[in-house]
Amino acid sequence: MQSFIDRLLQYAHWVIFLVLEALSGWMLFRFNAYQGSVWFTQANAVAGYVLDCQAKILQFVHLKDQNSQLTQDILLLQQENESMRTQLAQLTQDSSYTQKVQAELLNGEKLIPAHVISNSIKQKDNFITLDKGLKDGIRTEMGVVSGTGIVGITYLVSNHFSVVLPILNSHSNISCRLRGTNYFGSLKWDGGSPLQAYMDDIPRHARCKIGDIVETSGFSSVFPAGIFVGKVIQVKNSKDGLSYRLEVQLSTDLAQIRDVRIVSNSRQAELDSLQRQVK
Amino acid sequence: MIIRELIHLLQLVALVALQALVFNHMHLFGYATPLVYVCFLLYFPLNYSRCGILLWGFAAGLLTDIFSNTPGVGTASTTLVAMIQPVLLQAMAPKDCVEDMMPNFHTMGYGNYARFFIILIVVHHLLFFALESFSYFNPLHLLLSCGSSIALTTSIVWAIEHLLNRKS
Repeated sequence: MQSFIDRLLQYAHWVIFLVLEALSGWMLFRFNAYQGSVWFTQANAVAGYVLDCQAKILQFVHLKDQNSQLTQDILLLQQENESMRTQLAQLTQDSSYTQKVQAELLNGEKLIPAHVISNSIKQKDNFITLDKGLKDGIRTEMGVVSGTGIVGITYLVSNHFSVVLPILNSHSNISCRLRGTNYFGSLKWDGGSPLQAYMDDIPRHARCKIGDIVETSGFSSVFPAGIFVGKVIQVKNSKDGLSYRLEVQLSTDLAQIRDVRIVSNSRQAELDSLQRQVK
Repeated sequence: MIIRELIHLLQLVALVALQALVFNHMHLFGYATPLVYVCFLLYFPLNYSRCGILLWGFAAGLLTDIFSNTPGVGTASTTLVAMIQPVLLQAMAPKDCVEDMMPNFHTMGYGNYARFFIILIVVHHLLFFALESFSYFNPLHLLLSCGSSIALTTSIVWAIEHLLNRKS
């Protein structure tokens, strides 16, 4: 026991040395502003490094969540982009040349705005229903146009609704002509693509080529002359071989038509009464 | 025994007063400040209690720190010197010396004693300046002030030695 204590006492000076040096270090950092500040910045640098590592690890762990979040964001943005594109297309379409010309043509006519409330394009005889009727001044045999071209002719009219016989009906028969010439024919449709109709009775000596513009002739009082209908995409012979049959690409997509105008010709009543007297 | 400790105390008070009142105000060429109080630790005989010399060293450092406004720097340095002084003395003492040999020119021989106190002074200064500047951004300035202080302290201690020996 005594030797053990002696052994301990042999090393007592080491203990005292360490204690005194520790005390010196404490005083050094406690009472010197500069050394203290260095200590704190060193400590902070170490802490900052550790925290930085931790943040990096956490970031890596959360990559999966971030990815799914980003995918969701991209989807939302794509949808938004799509709707923006649609709006932009509509706006630029509205201000196109066709639109301007048509607005000029219809300037003198009384136009009644209407909304499509029912529509079909898949049958052979399609009909469009509008939300305006007799009370709004609509009669039968009035032309219906949209921003991009003709739509059809009113067929049945009730007090508040009217049914339109559109181009996409096998009974539709609208007098049209080729722009720049006076050759005319009637626009017909017999099923198939809702964007293509044909025009019969163009004489064989008429010069017509692909890309010619088809417009209303103005022979009936239904449509004023010059309203855009579509473009020629193919020139064929008719069945009897006596005339041409023109395939026409319609300018109006009836599948997505929403707002239309009804052309109310002020002279139509006069014309009707005249025809009645003849009968 | 008590008289010896009293002598140590007197030496300590005298050296600290000298350091605080004279040497602390010396800045030779803007670099050299002698730290003469460390020679207090030279005057401990062979086989003195190691714990005792440590405490004396700490006390010397503490007193100087209080006067020179460098808390912790002096104490750390002098405690280290007090730690190695007995080891160094043991190694450099002549073999035929007395048990409680007092280190000086006569007992240890001129070269040995010079080496003995120069080593202690260098160790003390290195630690002192390292702790005091606590940065190594300007190592040239640090080395210059450390080296010139070592030279100045050594020469002053040398002078004191001669002075005391001639008197005694």
